[in-house]
Amino acid sequence: MDALLTAHNTLTTHANLSTTLTTVDHLIDLLQQTRDNIAGPPPNTAVSAPLQIAKLKGPIRQTFEKVEEDLKEVNKGLNGYQKAWKEKFKGKDGLGMEGSGESLGGGGGVGLGLGAGSGVASGGLAGQKGLVERAIAMHLLREGEFHVASTFVKEVSAQSRSRNSDGIEENHSWLDDFTTDSDNVDMEDEHLEDDYEDGELYGPEVMERGYLQRKFAEMYRILDALRNHHNLAPAIHWANIHSDELGARASNLEFELARLRFVELYTSSKSDPENMDDADPSFSGPIAALRYARTTFPSFHPRYTHEISALLGALAFSPSLPTSPYHTLFSQEPTRASIATLFTTSFTTLLALPSSPPLLTTTNAGALALPVLTKYSHILSRTRSSWTTSQELPVETPLPGSMNFHNIFVCPVSKEQGTEANWPVMLPCGHVLARESLEAHARGKGRCKCPYCPVEFRVEGGGKRVFI
Amino acid sequence: MAELISTKLDPDSHLLLDQPLLRLPHELLRKNLKSAQRHIEIANKGIATSIQTLTTHSSPADTLDALDATLLKAQTLKRKLKALHAEEATLHRQQKARIAHLQELHDIPTIADVKYDVWAQTRLDRLLVDYLLRQNYLASARQLAEAKGIVDLVDIPVFEECGRIEASLCGVHGEYGDVREALGWCAENKQALKKIGSILELELRLQQFIELARTDEMDKLMEAIAHARKHFVGGQDTLYGLRAGGVLAHAPDTMVEPYKTMYAPTRYPYLAALFLRTHHTLFALPAHPLLHTALSAGLSALKTPTCHSAHNPHRGMFSHQHSSDKTTSTMSRPSVPPLLTDTPVCPICSTELNELARGVPYAHHTKSYMEDDPVVLPNGRVFGRERLRGLNVKLGVPEGRVRDPTDGLGGAEWAWGEVRKVFIL
Repeated sequence: MDALLTAHNTLTTHANLSTTLTTVDHLIDLLQQTRDNIAGPPPNTAVSAPLQIAKLKGPIRQTFEKVEEDLKEVNKGLNGYQKAWKEKFKGKDGLGMEGSGESLGGGGGVGLGLGAGSGVASGGLAGQKGLVERAIAMHLLREGEFHVASTFVKEVSAQSRSRNSDGIEENHSWLDDFTTDSDNVDMEDEHLEDDYEDGELYGPEVMERGYLQRKFAEMYRILDALRNHHNLAPAIHWANIHSDELGARASNLEFELARLRFVELYTSSKSDPENMDDADPSFSGPIAALRYARTTFPSFHPRYTHEISALLGALAFSPSLPTSPYHTLFSQEPTRASIATLFTTSFTTLLALPSSPPLLTTTNAGALALPVLTKYSHILSRTRSSWTTSQELPVETPLPGSMNFHNIFVCPVSKEQGTEANWPVMLPCGHVLARESLEAHARGKGRCKCPYCPVEFRVEGGGKRVFI
Repeated sequence: MAELISTKLDPDSHLLLDQPLLRLPHELLRKNLKSAQRHIEIANKGIATSIQTLTTHSSPADTLDALDATLLKAQTLKRKLKALHAEEATLHRQQKARIAHLQELHDIPTIADVKYDVWAQTRLDRLLVDYLLRQNYLASARQLAEAKGIVDLVDIPVFEECGRIEASLCGVHGEYGDVREALGWCAENKQALKKIGSILELELRLQQFIELARTDEMDKLMEAIAHARKHFVGGQDTLYGLRAGGVLAHAPDTMVEPYKTMYAPTRYPYLAALFLRTHHTLFALPAHPLLHTALSAGLSALKTPTCHSAHNPHRGMFSHQHSSDKTTSTMSRPSVPPLLTDTPVCPICSTELNELARGVPYAHHTKSYMEDDPVVLPNGRVFGRERLRGLNVKLGVPEGRVRDPTDGLGGAEWAWGEVRKVFIL
């Protein structure tokens, strides 16, 4: 990287056209001077004009030689940069950019390498334009880029219209889900509101037009209040409405919000004008918190009993909270940032979407997996072999634990992954094998022994399918 | 094994996707330099000749006029160089921004670092803008780049020009395209095209020839011959001269191949594709959008057999088929169980990518990857014991009882005694 930076600095400091420009300026000055001389006072004009011109020749030639020198300097600078660039990416040119990219068909090394074996990989995605673009549209929405998203949808539909009129069929049915029909918006809004208040979030209406726009707009409105205006109210309101669904997903959101509100009331409103009259101002905070607690906390599930009693216990120590045993409870409070994260997670979970953008996770995983895949496809092409299983990648692509979203079962006997056709089966002893492995192992026997422990069992009904 | 894989970041192999990022400004700088050279050459020649003519005795007025013309040439040169210098400064700025962007990655120790998230987000934005540009969604691309503040990290003008020329070649709705803009581009990049042995210009000239031959008017046909003499001779591919002759011999309504195809309007889309390919090669741009490369690798690396399984509790709810036929698919589709896990939803299972990932191979694993202390419920579902316990507490299931959390509040309930330990090797 440093070499690149140095090369770049060379380019900006002197290997550029600025010197050339100065040289050309000199040339213009020279010409101008000569012209002025010739056009000047009559006495010497006629005589010396040819002479002046003749005198010009040499300097002009020199100027252009100088210009060429200048350009050489620029060229040298560019070569230096190219060298640094090559050095930087040496041996890593898996993407078909070897040399200066001179072969026409050289692009997309990975795509070709993998594509040859499986017919998928990057080349294959080209045929899935509709799906890729749908994913992008959803991504833009969930990122809160509503304007970009609507421009995008407009451009896609304009392009697909013109293509359709050319007779090219493309799957752009997803566009319907993203276009808001301006005539019906108000009506639909009410309609949807009814839906989810009834808890029927999963009804067929779910993909009504503009549904996702509205959902994400709502999410960003609440997040904005939460983050930038320190206003918990919209989030609390949302959590109340979706209380049941959140409960079914074992989300703590509702309680965490209430807890944060409680702390906020307790610590902040020292000079709340409404409470000034009836009590010592220093108690107005705790009193407001107590009021809030009495109306809110009883509705929570018994599993929060412990936390609730701790919060209420803190009330007793009101003026000297920092020295009380409860002060840890307050200092370790969920911050707004973590509440915002929890809210985002809960909100997207209710939409059955991952909390971090799938495109982001996937491109990150792609960047981690690519070096391995590239290396593999290089080896393949060097040994002129090809990879035949199209179902599964040929090499392990290591990803960090945070990118493991499922348990993975690999049969200890056959080393194959459990699939829909070859599912994992648990033996009476608790060991798990792939179905095909067990069948092969037990073929022709009435009873057989677990390959991993001394337990014997009857083959018939001996294995039970498990879901991992 | 997955949990042993270090999260240490190796910037050099991580930047596999980012080579073109630093490459393109460089190629453009070269092109810029070439243009400067060309302008200087022209000016040099022009000035030299006008000075040459002057020495022969001419009247002072003529001398003055000629000198003025020379001066004008020098000034034109200066103006052009100034424009190129400004362009160069822009490119240098971009280059700097890009180097700084990649440098950031070198300062991030692991991918668990929060700074990596920010960096990766920018990378994704770049990939998205690149994709939008390549698909000719220029307004979206520009808006996104501006919203994310990454204008210097993407190549909007390059793709704008490229898209414009491609569109002019394609023509609208099966009409004939126009090769003039593309020929202009060829002239601009003449040397570089020669170096890579491109046939683009010849193909474009051939198209012009075909258009002349198509008219069937005598003077146009004569013009065609002159055109062929001008462009299809010399050290180039003699095949073009032969083809031109063949085209001339056949009327536009011929059924004889290959002349039938050569007269066909489908040659324009072919030229557009050829232009695109040549353009990308010339500027060392990858042939496919990098988003495709990153996505296909990522989809495969993340995909597990579970992701498209009917037993997958994570399956996204907006599976897309139903938009084509709403009633039947929603009927046939079992209502999605309110999923519950404290694990994040898998990106491959999510609606955004589920269909897209259907065709790609799943990741290869040599060892099982399980939660700690796996147990199996009577319904066959396997969980890590601690996670199961935690979820049941959150669901408010009474002590001593256990419920399958994937079934939410209404799931079946058993005694903990019925939960069995399972051994996964």
